[in-house]
Amino acid sequence: MKDKMKMTRRVFIKAAGITAGYAVLSFNIGFNMTRQAWAAAKDFLGVRQKSVYDADAKVYKYRKSQDNPMITKLYDKKHGFLHGGPCGHMSHRLLHTHYYDRSAGVKALKAKGFKLAI
Amino acid sequence: MRKIENVMYQMNASRGVDPDNIYFVQVDPTKCEACGECEKHCGTGAIQAINEEGIRQVVNPAACMNCGQCLINCPYDAIYEGVSFVDEIFEKLKNPDTVVVSMPAPAVRYGLGECFGYPTGAYVGGKMHAALRKLGFDFIWDNEWTADVTIMEEGTELIQRVKKPSKDKPLPQFTSCCPAWIKFAETFYPDLLPHISTCKSPIAMLGPLSKTYGAHETNIPAQKIYTVSIMPCIAKKYEGMRPEMADSGFQDIDATITTRELGYMIKEAGINFKSLPDQEPDPALGMSTGAATIFSNSGGVMEAALRLAYEVLSGKKLENPDIKVVRTHEGIGTAGIKVPNFGTVKVAVASGLSNAAKLCDEVRAGKSPHHFIEIMACRGGCVNGGGQPLDPDVRTASLFRSIVARVNRKYRMRKVA
Repeated sequence: MKDKMKMTRRVFIKAAGITAGYAVLSFNIGFNMTRQAWAAAKDFLGVRQKSVYDADAKVYKYRKSQDNPMITKLYDKKHGFLHGGPCGHMSHRLLHTHYYDRSAGVKALKAKGFKLAI
Repeated sequence: MRKIENVMYQMNASRGVDPDNIYFVQVDPTKCEACGECEKHCGTGAIQAINEEGIRQVVNPAACMNCGQCLINCPYDAIYEGVSFVDEIFEKLKNPDTVVVSMPAPAVRYGLGECFGYPTGAYVGGKMHAALRKLGFDFIWDNEWTADVTIMEEGTELIQRVKKPSKDKPLPQFTSCCPAWIKFAETFYPDLLPHISTCKSPIAMLGPLSKTYGAHETNIPAQKIYTVSIMPCIAKKYEGMRPEMADSGFQDIDATITTRELGYMIKEAGINFKSLPDQEPDPALGMSTGAATIFSNSGGVMEAALRLAYEVLSGKKLENPDIKVVRTHEGIGTAGIKVPNFGTVKVAVASGLSNAAKLCDEVRAGKSPHHFIEIMACRGGCVNGGGQPLDPDVRTASLFRSIVARVNRKYRMRKVA
């Protein structure tokens, strides 16, 4: 019996130590998780993005480009400035472009020994 | 150098210079702490250590896409902008013979308020319009209106490509709104240029429309019109200076400033922003829709285009305009949108140039299953653009890091010596 008591005391201390250890650890994990959740909620980018979608839903009367009266006016088949419609002749003159190969500059840099990410 | 909304600027209004030779962003070596944060945010590797001490520089404008992600993420205010048209615009606003037109981008109205103590992301569109009138701009031709025009043009182009893809106009189609992405494709993926929509960006459409349609609507000779592009973006300064952007017969965009510079101008003019009433833009080249305002976010151009493509391809009304599957907080997102009478429209959305490279490699390998791909260079889209007011946490969290960086720097210097 006496032996058993001794063991129990030792076991108790050991168990208490482990419990305390885990308690601190789990508190830490719990705390970290709250901190992460808090960080996500105050994520700078996310807050700005949400504001955009809120305005789309609440501020703007029309939500599709084709419903905008000033778009209808622009493309009006009779009197519109772009009466040829989207991708029509006038659109191609003013609103479309072409692109240029600009790879020579980075090729020259790489030839000089610069390391780039791509 | 001048401090504008916590960022340093060289007050050069460059004219007649090849924009390919301009450093739109550069590191001040006397302020650089060699922490390497900028490098982490650079998609091309243009910003790198130039000596053993670890001081960073943009090594050459050819490798820099001008997105400015390095600048807004630098903890030490060591990166500055190389071009500012602010002083020139103030002069033009005083000149009675010049008709000065303001053209604010969608994302500006979600950042500008932060310069005046509003909470992060607060929508201040109405006050922004009022402030532009107070500053003396003769017209507010809102870039959101041309975002709607862009959807009409780019959506129509997409439908044409989907119905009849060709060697000149293949699928997938890439968006063309982001100037850093366009320079990136021209620089690193020139073989993919036929995949990019031939549509100019919204602001590159509004420039020539102002000097043709706008001049006609207001009976003002085009040569009197001075167009000011107001952007959440540094790369738009490069785009505005492209020599080919002169389809109106004049340089289409005369000056480009960022959200930060607009905030600075409003303060300099002594305008009490918070007390301003909410106002509308000038309608003919100003009225806009929700589809235009979401251009600010990664996935927004895609969603706006789908709101049109769905109706054209299916012949049916899209009852709920929310297409939430394409909204992409950051990174890469893909989705399939079922369209009646057509099938599934397959789309991908990416923000950040290293993510763009992944999608480009897929297209180059002929393995891309998508119809339409949206690319924005800045993480999360234009709301987080390089020209937006800074996240205060980037600078305030840096005191501890600043000490560590200084110790490291001393240690390295000793090693070098």
